[in-house]
Amino acid sequence: MNWKISEIDEIFSIDLAERDGLITVSSINSDGQNIESPEVIISKLDDRSRVSVEINGKLRFAHVAKVGDKWWIHLDGDIFTISELEKGAKSSDKIEGGLTAPMPGTVLDVMVREGQRVREGQPLMTMEAMKMEHRIVAPKAGEVLSINFSQGERVDMGSVLVELGD
Amino acid sequence: MIPEWMKDAPNPFNTVLVANRGEIAVRIIKAVQEAGLRAIAIYSEPDKDSLHTEMANQAIYLPGDSLSENYLNSEAIIEAAKASGAQAIHPGYGFLSERADFAEAVEKSGITWIGPSPEAIETMGDKISARSRMIESGVPVIPGDEVAIPDDSDHLGTLASVAARVGYPLLLKASAGGGGKGMRIVREPKMLRTEYEAAAREASAAFGDGTVYVERLLTGARHIEIQILADKYGNCIHLNERDCSLQRRHQKVIEEAPSSAVSDELRKSMGESAVLAAKSVDYVGAGTVELLLSSNGDFYFLEMNTRLQVEHPVTEMITGVDLVHKQLEIASGLPLGISQDSMSISGHSIEARIYAEDAKKGFLPAIGKLALWRPPTGPGIRVDSGVKEGDEVTVNFDPMLAKLIVHAPSRMAAIRRLELALSSFVALGVTTNIGFLRNALTHPAFMSGNITTDFLDNTPMSEFTSEDPDPTVLVAIASAAKRLGAGKYGVNTNSRMIDDHSGHAYDPFITLSRRLP
Repeated sequence: MNWKISEIDEIFSIDLAERDGLITVSSINSDGQNIESPEVIISKLDDRSRVSVEINGKLRFAHVAKVGDKWWIHLDGDIFTISELEKGAKSSDKIEGGLTAPMPGTVLDVMVREGQRVREGQPLMTMEAMKMEHRIVAPKAGEVLSINFSQGERVDMGSVLVELGD
Repeated sequence: MIPEWMKDAPNPFNTVLVANRGEIAVRIIKAVQEAGLRAIAIYSEPDKDSLHTEMANQAIYLPGDSLSENYLNSEAIIEAAKASGAQAIHPGYGFLSERADFAEAVEKSGITWIGPSPEAIETMGDKISARSRMIESGVPVIPGDEVAIPDDSDHLGTLASVAARVGYPLLLKASAGGGGKGMRIVREPKMLRTEYEAAAREASAAFGDGTVYVERLLTGARHIEIQILADKYGNCIHLNERDCSLQRRHQKVIEEAPSSAVSDELRKSMGESAVLAAKSVDYVGAGTVELLLSSNGDFYFLEMNTRLQVEHPVTEMITGVDLVHKQLEIASGLPLGISQDSMSISGHSIEARIYAEDAKKGFLPAIGKLALWRPPTGPGIRVDSGVKEGDEVTVNFDPMLAKLIVHAPSRMAAIRRLELALSSFVALGVTTNIGFLRNALTHPAFMSGNITTDFLDNTPMSEFTSEDPDPTVLVAIASAAKRLGAGKYGVNTNSRMIDDHSGHAYDPFITLSRRLP
């Protein structure tokens, strides 16, 4: 499994060992390099949102929630988000899809039509969100399969704006 | 049925429509129901499953996509009150709460308005008329000039002479203003024209009135406000102060009562001024007189809010007075029933406003699903919340999710209690300002009790951010949680009811809180 923590650039991968419901870390890599980890023992509690976390012998409790591909973790009063990446993903890969709305907003302009072939980097749509313009560009060359919003329509964050095929 | 406490009231009612949403609607509905009355909610499409809609005895749907069609639609709200048999309307804060024409329309339709008279709202709503009224009544105002500078005439000559009289640095303020809009600082004469034009433009856009006036700029001041209560028989008391100096761009972040900057003597004198201000407009109900306390101990009238304030709970905690219940009593025509001499202060209370916003990205509003929402509980902890687990946080409304209020014997004890409460506040799925609040609360300057209103804006954000986490621990927790099947939530709000073992929704042993003999 590869993991990306918000605001931290490196990609982490981890191997776990499990015995009697207790999970320990066998090895952990940061951008392919093996790194040191404190001794961590994690086990599930009766409440589905909580796990117990023993770090170097000190017991804490963490709350976890998975929303989409993102895991939200509440530990010692701080909240973190961490995303699971597809195997082989690199830190340069965009985690938030290039064709989804980055924020809630309004579609200002649609520059392509369905069925049209586009080249990588070609602008497909512009949208306004939080009083700023964002340009939605093709992450790869391909054919526009569908355009899901038209000019002037409101979109929610994460809505798929355009679908691209090969 | 009229409840026992209201049976001698000249103007009894048994049903109250709450013309608001979110945490304040929930707060008022609880007070109404606790008083033995029926509560009617109104809601628009995005709020159809919201907490205030669920809690009310009856909820009335107001159609339309824009606020002007529902929460700001006076006619539809008065119709809803009539249709549901409500004999009184509580406006909460924001929305229509400070609209004199709405108060007037409610009264004309024969429904009791839970608030001050339309004339009082009108006078205090216009900054220039409020200032003039305060001067007449002997309430200190910030040195300035009440000359209105309309934005449609040749005014620069007038403005320049007024500015010279008041002195630089000065503050241009929109007469119809509030919330920092139409407000501009001018440090030297050559900037007067540019800043004036910006203030007038902002004021016209926000309030439809570009009139501005001039005040001396007071720096290093504290925002102190006095809660007042007045009945229909001329009795008016103050319920001590709240200190709201921790602000970001004129928006309050953390509020507390009492203020560490206010001595008993100063409290008495500020309280008397606030009562004077309220009496000058024959005020009825709960209201707040906002004052600026300068570093040399002088204080000045800022404005009067003719409604319940967001931060009213801290006053309730230290005085033991339920302000919303008092509003109901006063509206029913009962006398105040408490005297100034019976008012006292018990301990210290602090409120932190929990917002769905990202402090690390310039406080941009955040959206998403509240996958996990576990507010803290315990002695001296109060949570006024308008949301529940599973709710979708959208950009439709104000991003305030809840208010976390603590009460403890002393200020330091209250800070420690709030710090722990913030730390144990689990809100996952939407980015919140909880971490920022904790860092602001425990900043040495706030702890010392000596901050002024410009503190947050003049302090680098790096002083309010937490240290980076140990990434290996986070990766271990996330991957272990995945392996253990923890933390998974469905998409609908009922998914949390699904039982782990049986796999059914609404497992009877969870949903029926039945006790077997």
